[in-house]
Amino acid sequence: MIERVHSLGRSIFELLRRPMSRAFDSEQNPLNHLGALTVYFCWIVLVSGIWLLIFFRTSVSSAFESVEYLTHEQWYLGGVMRSLHRYASDALIVTILLHVIKEFIFNRYRLNRWFNWVTGVPLVWIIFPLGISGYWLVWDELAQYVAISSAELLDRVPIFTNPMAGNFMSAELLSDRFFTLMAFLHLIGLPIFLVFGIWLHVFRLNGPRINPPRRMMAAALLAMLVLSAVFPAISHDQADLAMAPQVLRFDWFYLHVYPLIQAWSPGWVWVLLIGISTLLTIAPWAPPARKTTVAVVDLDNCNGCKRCVDDCPFGAVEMVPRTDGSNYTHEAAVDQDLCISCGICVGACPTATPFRSRSALIPGIDVPNHSAAVIRQDIIEHAEPAANAPRVMVFGCRDDEQTRRMLKDGNSVVTVRCMAHLQPSFLDFVLSRDHAEGILLLGCEDGNCNYRLGAEWTEARINRERDPRLRKRTDTSKIAMGWQPPWSDIKDPAKRLAAFRASLAEEQGDG
Amino acid sequence: MKLFKESLAWAVFAVVVGLLSVWPRYNLVDADNAIITVTYAHAAQRVGECRILTQEELNELPPNMRKPSDCPRERHVVRFEMRSGDEVLYKDVLLPSGIWSDGKANIYQRVVVPAGRHDIFVGMNDSGGKAGFDYEIRTSLDIASGRNVVVQFNPESQQFTVH
Repeated sequence: MIERVHSLGRSIFELLRRPMSRAFDSEQNPLNHLGALTVYFCWIVLVSGIWLLIFFRTSVSSAFESVEYLTHEQWYLGGVMRSLHRYASDALIVTILLHVIKEFIFNRYRLNRWFNWVTGVPLVWIIFPLGISGYWLVWDELAQYVAISSAELLDRVPIFTNPMAGNFMSAELLSDRFFTLMAFLHLIGLPIFLVFGIWLHVFRLNGPRINPPRRMMAAALLAMLVLSAVFPAISHDQADLAMAPQVLRFDWFYLHVYPLIQAWSPGWVWVLLIGISTLLTIAPWAPPARKTTVAVVDLDNCNGCKRCVDDCPFGAVEMVPRTDGSNYTHEAAVDQDLCISCGICVGACPTATPFRSRSALIPGIDVPNHSAAVIRQDIIEHAEPAANAPRVMVFGCRDDEQTRRMLKDGNSVVTVRCMAHLQPSFLDFVLSRDHAEGILLLGCEDGNCNYRLGAEWTEARINRERDPRLRKRTDTSKIAMGWQPPWSDIKDPAKRLAAFRASLAEEQGDG
Repeated sequence: MKLFKESLAWAVFAVVVGLLSVWPRYNLVDADNAIITVTYAHAAQRVGECRILTQEELNELPPNMRKPSDCPRERHVVRFEMRSGDEVLYKDVLLPSGIWSDGKANIYQRVVVPAGRHDIFVGMNDSGGKAGFDYEIRTSLDIASGRNVVVQFNPESQQFTVH
């Protein structure tokens, strides 16, 4: 059932992913940096908010006037900052929504990834009040509506003696202290929880990416600046508690629930909000429960080099004092609760080399049911016949759509858990032992690595920038990384294979 | 070409953000309508009178619990009704708050009415009676379009206010 939902979601997501992957290289594709982009928009909100704070006055009578001053008198800076503050806040709701949908449909929230998923739920409960309280501070007609509707919602919680919404029935009942409280919540209280929440959300990850690439940052900022200049954010008329706001320019990113308060009732809105949050929170444990086998350490082959620790994207491997009396001081130990069996540690292990002939291929760390020995055997069995010259060996990630498509169409693909599961010596093995004349690494589609860092580590190892490095004798022109241009421009993996084969043939002809 | 495509994608993103931040507009109250908001909290009368305990009853109690009177904490429900002419705009029976049903009953309700003249009647019963009201007010109002008329109960004067 849940797999069908994932599959359906991926099909719908494809409608967005396809044009985006035509427009962007994988590194610059915002869909591959949604979490980092969200944090970046938070930075824009923070910086623009500091400027607004300098001029904002926290009182019933002057809050509106101070925002109007910023918008109209100081339009060249304060107005732009206000618009930037608004639009970056809206943009981060888009990126959060896409981030949640993407992690869900690509099944990146279950098993040992539950922690990152569950800690994301309270972040949503912080972000929305943060945005909504910002609208409140402007104290225009929209703020009046938001204040009264929020109070109606809170009044449903049986903790107030008098209806809180009653405080917004006349100007005499509203005090400046209330604005001070809202300003405190918006400027200090909620942001502190947000920073802590983001830290908690990523702290179990190894090398979390909280900044998108610089070019993407510049593009995002430019897009928001142009939007702010062309279509500046403006206020409604000043709040008048004797009148009911009639037609409102609504920010649907933050206020989409509010019409339901009037259409249903505050009680049913609480049921909806708590229901969605509960479903999101328990989603990682929804059936079918599947426990993956975790990586295992073989002490006879582990030299305590620590590369598996450095490369594990989920911080599941740590070094502990040696337990077998060996001369090495430390050994790798796998945390069963964190390991998701991506095999990246195997790709980092210097002993996971297929050239071993005197002893069995048992690396220092291995994935039991998809071992390095199995990959070596697959390579030997998948070697193309000489008639196909130039012969190409294709490696694909197990959970990637391209791999599924290639296998479905009857193509020969050696599957690995993640592209970084493949230790670089396997590439040398393929070429030097004449199992193929070229290697196509499909990787995850668009460089959107299912295990976060697979594409990055693979590139660094092949480019000889990160251990274990590809041997110098291996001709890198014979290795195509499918997520990099020019190969990433060809979206159909079968056509990509044909193009790579043609380029090898051309090269051989030139030779 | 690549730069053009990237710029186009970011432009589409900006347009979506800009558009959904103000559109579609939300119509809270139609142009010819106004709102009457009822909001107050009121502690209804207690369900029973205090009773003076007899000396025998006091003697049976532990020394630290010998209060001379036994007063029931529970309060009656509050019955509220608001009419415009003969049309009932809002009618409700409100329960006292608190686990012992001894707190105030809260009322908060927004009612959309057509703009124009209204003969408003507001009544409240807090003594448990099935018929009639302990407090009431009748007033004639010419309510302008978009106006928010507030009905409250002043606990000091024990009277309704409509403003």
